[in-house]
Amino acid sequence: MSDAVAEFEERRRRLLSRQRLQALVGTALFSLLLAYAFHRSAFFDSHIGGDPLGRIADFLQRMNPDLRAEALFEDKETQGSLAYWFYGLPRWLKLAWQTFEMAVLATVLGAAAGLLASFLCARNLMPIAAVRFAVRRTLEAIRTFPDLILALILVAAFGVGPLAGVLTLAISTMGSLGRLFAEINEEVDPRPLEGLRASGASLPRMIRYGVIPQALPSYASYLLIRLEGNLAGAAALGIVGAGGIGLELQHAIHYVEFDTYLAILSIIIGMIFALDLISEAIRHRLIGLARPK
Amino acid sequence: MRGRWTDPLLRYLLLLAILAALVAMAVDLDLAPSRLLAGVDKLGRFAVAMFPPSDGGDLVRILRSLAETFAMAIAGTVLAVVAAAPLGLIGAKTVMPNKVLHFAFRRFLDVFRGVPVLVWALILVTAFGLGPFGGVIALALADIPTLAKLFAEAIENVEEGPVEGVRSAGLPPMAAIRYGLAPQVAPVWASQSLFFLEGNFRNAAVLGLVGAGGIGFELEERIRIFAFDEVAFIVLLFMVSVAVLDTLSRELRKKLA
Repeated sequence: MSDAVAEFEERRRRLLSRQRLQALVGTALFSLLLAYAFHRSAFFDSHIGGDPLGRIADFLQRMNPDLRAEALFEDKETQGSLAYWFYGLPRWLKLAWQTFEMAVLATVLGAAAGLLASFLCARNLMPIAAVRFAVRRTLEAIRTFPDLILALILVAAFGVGPLAGVLTLAISTMGSLGRLFAEINEEVDPRPLEGLRASGASLPRMIRYGVIPQALPSYASYLLIRLEGNLAGAAALGIVGAGGIGLELQHAIHYVEFDTYLAILSIIIGMIFALDLISEAIRHRLIGLARPK
Repeated sequence: MRGRWTDPLLRYLLLLAILAALVAMAVDLDLAPSRLLAGVDKLGRFAVAMFPPSDGGDLVRILRSLAETFAMAIAGTVLAVVAAAPLGLIGAKTVMPNKVLHFAFRRFLDVFRGVPVLVWALILVTAFGLGPFGGVIALALADIPTLAKLFAEAIENVEEGPVEGVRSAGLPPMAAIRYGLAPQVAPVWASQSLFFLEGNFRNAAVLGLVGAGGIGFELEERIRIFAFDEVAFIVLLFMVSVAVLDTLSRELRKKLA
């Protein structure tokens, strides 16, 4: 009896000490990794000044536009007015619209390519395993590749301008939507597909009548989410010369106009926010449609 | 709703209108087919120049930059998690019962959700000087709104029982968070943080484009001088390392779930 208790105590002690050791080693490893990461990324380096808070305050102050209450609604020649702050508004809005156009075109092109790819790598549609494997790996490679690096290469090939940007976003959209669409394809109700297959329908017909009617609302929902992402992406592309409003951000930095940066940033944020709201409203309707009646 | 779209004529008209709008957009952006062809031709030559990939005799420097990129990703994610944790608490309906404040706070986070990393990085690097510091802050800023929202949702989804149990034992609210909430929320938060870390391994690569160091800087330099064999080498190295890190992180996440 006392032997059993002693053995139990012994085992419990060993288990506890092993757990403690595991936790200790885990914490030590994690701390080492963190220390290395912050050291390697020069986070606490001295060259940003011994006074990081002071620099942040200085930076915020320079970002703060020079607005005066009495001149707020004067024209853009008057210092301190809103119009003076947003001095490039017509050009910025035009570029914002271009950014939106880039996002829309890239989303449509990328979704079309992704749709094609999704049929080629869906288990229930493509019988040849090698094709599925190749397409899946290609899509995965695209997703691993950072957009802006791709943009840089495409700008070198297609020149500065929206063309490189649209292609970049279209390719990356194909990578992400291709995979999501494939998942939708594999989740459709198999019965219509079996019926079509039994009646000898070709692959395009199986897709047209067996998959698309069920999958369309889900496709559209993912497409809209991706459109939101692409609008944000397109806003950044101009920084590397691939068209859109990012170019003006680059200019503002070039002339060290931090308040102008804030103005353009607020246009970008407003644009993304507005699209988010619209897309969310549409998506909620689509989800209602997708629900079985 | 169904009846309206079954009319085939109406459907074709709608499709036609969408197509026309897309073409008009392409024309407005000056996406000429001739430029597309010329670019594809150039791209083909780039692709040929990529073989065989070569490290250009700078392997040590490339590996250092790669390490710097991943270090920035880790530092940025940790900062984001540290900042998002209290924000997530405030943003959770169950912790913040005031409806107006809760709604206002969530919307405030939404506003900043879309701003891309590079847009933050461009100005932060200018403000804080060239180097990884601005890049790390940019990564953190880009993640905080989404992460805080996910953290808040994780809190809202917990079982109320343990929290109420601790509270009804007469312990202070901090104890309710520590012993009722944290054990349920921690694995979810950890898993979400790892997920963001995976994303940041990719995002950190672009920080170099605006002067924040790391692999992006090395890539930009080489793309500029058309050294595509070295570009190919770096890109392959990067993709393989990201794949390895992703696998590690995924295994960890599986253990947490």
